[in-house]
Amino acid sequence: MFEFLFNYPLTVFQKGTLVFASGWPLWLLGALVLAAAALVAWLFLRKPLPRARALVLGGLQWAAIALLLLMLFQPAVSVSQLKPQQNVVAVLVDTSRSMALEERLGKAVGLLNSGLLEQLKKRFPVRLYSAARDLSRLESLPAMATQPVTNLGDSLQGATGEAATLPIGAIVLLSDGADNAGGLDTNTMAALRRSRIPIHTIGFGREQMDRDLEITDAQIPVRSLPDARLSATVTLRQAGYAGKPVRLMVQDGSKTLATREIRLPDDGQSSREVISFQSGPAGAKALRVSLAVLDGETNDKNNAVTRLVNVEDRKPRILYFEGEPRWEMKFIRRAAELDANLELVSIVRTTQNKFYRQGVTDPKELEHGFPDSIEELFRYQGIIIGNVEAGYFNAQQQSLLKEFADRRGGGVLFLGGRATLSDGGWNHSPAADMLPVLLPDRKGTFHREPAAVELTVAGRDSLVTRVEESPDKNMAKWKSLPMIADYQETGAAKPGALVLAELRPTSGGRFPLLATQNFGRGRVALFATGGSWRWQMGQDSKDMSHEVFWQQLLRWMVSDVSGRVAAVTSRQVYEDDARIVLQAGVRDMNYLPSAEATVEAHILGPGGAAAVVPLRPVTGVPGAYTGEWRAEAPGAYLTEIVAKQGETELGRDVLNFRREDGVAENFRTEQNRELLERIAQQTGGRYYKPEDAGRLPQEIEYSDAGISVKETHGIWNAPAAFLLLAGLKAAEWLLRRKWGAV
Amino acid sequence: MSKRVARIALLFLLAGSLWAFQRGIRNLFPDSDDETPPADGNEKAEFMWARLRYSNFQGGGGMWARRGAWTVDFPKADRQFLQGVRRLTRLQTRSMEHIVDLISDDIFDYPFVYAVEVGHWNLPDAQARKLREFTDRGGFLMTDDFHGTFEWDIFTTSLNKGFGDRPITDIESEDPIFHVVFDLKDRFQVPGIVNYPFGQTHEYDGLEPKWRAVRDDKGRIVLGICHNMDQGDAWEWADNPRYPEKYASQAYRTGINYIVYAMTH
Repeated sequence: MFEFLFNYPLTVFQKGTLVFASGWPLWLLGALVLAAAALVAWLFLRKPLPRARALVLGGLQWAAIALLLLMLFQPAVSVSQLKPQQNVVAVLVDTSRSMALEERLGKAVGLLNSGLLEQLKKRFPVRLYSAARDLSRLESLPAMATQPVTNLGDSLQGATGEAATLPIGAIVLLSDGADNAGGLDTNTMAALRRSRIPIHTIGFGREQMDRDLEITDAQIPVRSLPDARLSATVTLRQAGYAGKPVRLMVQDGSKTLATREIRLPDDGQSSREVISFQSGPAGAKALRVSLAVLDGETNDKNNAVTRLVNVEDRKPRILYFEGEPRWEMKFIRRAAELDANLELVSIVRTTQNKFYRQGVTDPKELEHGFPDSIEELFRYQGIIIGNVEAGYFNAQQQSLLKEFADRRGGGVLFLGGRATLSDGGWNHSPAADMLPVLLPDRKGTFHREPAAVELTVAGRDSLVTRVEESPDKNMAKWKSLPMIADYQETGAAKPGALVLAELRPTSGGRFPLLATQNFGRGRVALFATGGSWRWQMGQDSKDMSHEVFWQQLLRWMVSDVSGRVAAVTSRQVYEDDARIVLQAGVRDMNYLPSAEATVEAHILGPGGAAAVVPLRPVTGVPGAYTGEWRAEAPGAYLTEIVAKQGETELGRDVLNFRREDGVAENFRTEQNRELLERIAQQTGGRYYKPEDAGRLPQEIEYSDAGISVKETHGIWNAPAAFLLLAGLKAAEWLLRRKWGAV
Repeated sequence: MSKRVARIALLFLLAGSLWAFQRGIRNLFPDSDDETPPADGNEKAEFMWARLRYSNFQGGGGMWARRGAWTVDFPKADRQFLQGVRRLTRLQTRSMEHIVDLISDDIFDYPFVYAVEVGHWNLPDAQARKLREFTDRGGFLMTDDFHGTFEWDIFTTSLNKGFGDRPITDIESEDPIFHVVFDLKDRFQVPGIVNYPFGQTHEYDGLEPKWRAVRDDKGRIVLGICHNMDQGDAWEWADNPRYPEKYASQAYRTGINYIVYAMTH
């Protein structure tokens, strides 16, 4: 219909530009149109007609004149058109294993054989390719879809690369869009766009499966302390099982770490579930997160994913400085003592001139009070500032405290108290920047009054406040906790901070109780009370909520604190991709970025594979080093990154990653139409359903890639213009008749 | 008949002697208890000195039995000691004591509790179990001013109802409780005022001061047992020139160490 009305297919208009074949200047057209408007207005406003009717009739007449003027200027579409038989069309057929589902490959081949290929060949030379892990040339249409990987990015880049030697005019991709090698990132898409070769995509496979469960993502911290409570945030989607219960599990080998029943979301919807578990003893672990297989599932291989956790064999040390004896300190110490993987070193001012130290490893440690040197302070991974005024610390110490989080990457916790926060002058200290809340500019913010505690929405999901395994039980537990003994007013949370719990004093009001935020490389928390000890004294001695809360808060402070070397891989699990990118941040003895280090990765892989990979400095990023390596064999790899400055070892870090082949193809097995449409839209092509693909041979002609010529197609004589003109005049005539204005 | 007269005469003689004895001591240490609460007595503070109220062991007698043995030295000892705590430490303490018992659950709001004359206490099973629960949650009990074998037996009879599985052990001089604020490696017996005017620091057969403890699973002291000594009198009479300073001084240091230990362990 479109082509009938406008002489040419829609593609011509989409790809072409409007021109005027008359060659007359455009300003003349504008002037004539304006003059026509003035003339019509002069004629019609003089008539004895109501003004509205005069405007309508005049408007119709003016529109008809303007249309005639436009046609006189001979509008046309100028479009690039491939020269027949001089351009090659590359036809890429996805032969990955997912194309075997629902006989997708068979349908693609059937479509090509049903005349599409013939039509293309009439206009252009056609080259056939297989698109899977990469591009490979085919002499005939493929019969089997057996490739374990789909890397559309590499395949399409391979096809556009052929343009260096061939006049590639267009690419036709027949695929389900299931790219599972991560090859279609922004850079790849930009490279495809730059090639200026339109990629037309034909999608195969259902866009939604009938009956299927799939874990689309599972997020687990890559590092942990031993016996820490971790959570897996699992994203899943389903079709055909809306509202049904299913068991979600986390397993370490044959050992089940956690299991929980969840309700499935509506068909086609994603949902996010959180399941918490204990990290267990130190070691590199491959955790399996899975959903139970339900009856009648189309694909039961996408119900489980593997994630790696490096449970580090280290015992972080936390320095707790308390300005005066307080019950809070006793009970925090007791909670920490129950955690075999934390070390709490405390120092309390008992008298004006005396300290009492606990947990020190040698008599010299902290003998002069709070450290005032990097060497002494940065030995710790966390710091708790108790009820102590800012003025107790000299300028150097206050600055170090800030640097401890910012530069060292340590965790800092501020407690409430009668001589701290605003009442202790911290609001005027440089350390105020690091607090997750604003501090009021006044004294008298500390109150010895009972206050109830309420979890916020963020607190409900946080592991810090998870004192019971089940989220519902956890909420109930927090509601039943005894009131805390005292509280301190603070201002609002800063942007980027997370308030996990709020205070509800019996005297009214609502203030942040527990707030956290990242600061530089570290993290900072505020706990605006010194009275959580009532959770311990006010509940049965067997109740562990106070201990668990404090252990989790202390672990949160130090769980991610790295040493002078912090290394990562670009991914945890490399699916069908052997290219491993190693990155390391290296700091010198003062925790400043070290640009002159020698950094090496010592890799141990399956079957005794071993390699030493040097990491090179990243230009423009001091302290950053990177290196690449190919992990050809599937399996678990352990990597130790060692950094030296001269002969001095700055530090080392251990990480692990995993290579898997043929697993990713089991996921996202339905047609990824969104990706296919994006490829087409970004490159100037079109997405087709198989039933619409008959238009492809004609529409493919309009492209400026390869060998093309600029064609000008006049549209002044399109039926649509005449129909519009006739319509305008007919409308005017009918209105004149009706209103008696003939 | 003559025997009966002689017995009655002897009884009067003994009673008269006792009256004269007590009167003499009271002349030396006049009862100066000022029970007017201090002006800031109700101030909310981090530390509240809690004195344990308990029922007496049957068979006890005298004024303290009527008033309750738990009230001995009350309230002057408490308040005078708290003045010292304020002066000698950074601890924010209320100036006035608070009375707790093992009947209600109030005791759980006061993690440090002082009990005096526990050689006269009589804890029903439920109260002994509550005391155990108190220490299991993290509370600390300091006992004081009971002497000799007889009072020790009464003390342990009640205590064992809740702490039968916990041994009572002597505290080594190296223990942190003797060093947390003041070094108390060398200690001596702190006498009450009953025998002190006669040059005697002990009462009954309690010749040696015993610093004992019940500990929890982690080895922390949860019951600090001061046997054969009387810190309470030393606090109460610290302002009296007739009571030697060295005893008062050690008692203050001991009390402070026990409190700060309780707040750090």
